[in-house]
Amino acid sequence: MRQSRSEVTRGKIIDAAVEMFNDGGYSSTGLGDIVERTGMTKGALYHHFNSKEALAMAIIDQASGILLKTFQGISRSSAPALESMIHGVLVVAELANTDKLARMGAVLLRIFAESGESSARNYGVWISEMGRQAHRAQLEEDLRGDIDAQAAGEFIVTAMLGTELISSAVSGGEDVLERVTRTWEFVLPAIASQQSLPYLREFLARESLRRSQSTPPQ
Amino acid sequence: MTHPTDRRADSARGPLVRAAAHHFAHKPYALVNLDDVVAEVNVSRGAMYFHFPSKHALARAVIDEAERIGREAAAGVLANKLSGLETLIDLSYLVALLDLREDLARAGLHLLESIGRVDELGARSLREVVNALAQIARQAIDEGDIAEGPDLEDVARLLVSTYIGLRHTSDLGTPRQFLSDLEKAWSLLLPGFVNPERMRYLSQFVHRRTVVALGKVSPQRDPA
Repeated sequence: MRQSRSEVTRGKIIDAAVEMFNDGGYSSTGLGDIVERTGMTKGALYHHFNSKEALAMAIIDQASGILLKTFQGISRSSAPALESMIHGVLVVAELANTDKLARMGAVLLRIFAESGESSARNYGVWISEMGRQAHRAQLEEDLRGDIDAQAAGEFIVTAMLGTELISSAVSGGEDVLERVTRTWEFVLPAIASQQSLPYLREFLARESLRRSQSTPPQ
Repeated sequence: MTHPTDRRADSARGPLVRAAAHHFAHKPYALVNLDDVVAEVNVSRGAMYFHFPSKHALARAVIDEAERIGREAAAGVLANKLSGLETLIDLSYLVALLDLREDLARAGLHLLESIGRVDELGARSLREVVNALAQIARQAIDEGDIAEGPDLEDVARLLVSTYIGLRHTSDLGTPRQFLSDLEKAWSLLLPGFVNPERMRYLSQFVHRRTVVALGKVSPQRDPA
């Protein structure tokens, strides 16, 4: 799809900001630095973002949009929902640690965690998406019938966000995939139905095999 | 550069292809009547001949459009980053569901078999698919799902042949039957090239996709 000139400019500002927040940190980078880097006038930049916070929010929204779209793409496949949840969380965790914009979005989300509706909205979207998939997984009899699907979805988001937080604190995100896999190993027996559990464990065990490959050619 | 009249004519192209797909999906090529196609769309015969001077030209446009949809959908499956063999299985269910539910996909596949047989189109298109599948199968060797040994192009050709054959021996008009026949085909094919210790997992993988696909086709039971 063709972007308007204004969208292109907006994208350029966001890319520059991601670079600079990445190099110098969010708090020590000012809007003035970004004006300098993009070579725009102050007025042009302010036309798009009237504060550093507005710019941070835009990065958060765009980053979580990328991650959510990836997760939803996997959910739409021909796979049963719980498989998509397992695989989708891992793919998203990897993307959140390799894609620059997505990574900065996660950092900023944490900075603003206490202060606003932006983070509440972002987590809310994930919780409802995961809840929807959990509900489908229950209909497919992979999720235990005697638990609340919505609560299971919320619990998974909680566990995975915590895992991601610890991974970025401990290793800068290097070991996020091992940690997320381990979290799934503990979560699965709690939420999976008896008859599906052995298969789902095997499905999870194959994740390292799926990752060792480069993306197949188109 | 678009001339205004071109733009008006352009807007007829899409509806014509879609209407044609509907006819080609449910009737043999020879029995499709262009008058019926035109009647379904608010387009004059002249406008149709402007775009498609013959039934063959219209059929090729349907094939092109079906290939575009197929490529897009396949790219989606590849973006899911599953293992090679899992990807091959998912692709087969994706194609089956498109074939069962989308006129364009079904028409495209019908036409590849009918007019594709006599022009270079069918051979070229199938060769492309076989090559792409063989590459994905190569990944499955590295992952240990396919044992070293078989020629991967042979494997890919076998998969394509089986699907095309299934379109004749099973019945696209009874989606539930078709999907369960697809599962049976996989369970007979897999032991031919899959690492024996992976068989149990992969059979379950196939079965679980069959169940999901069955949930997507209605009605609950095939028409008698």
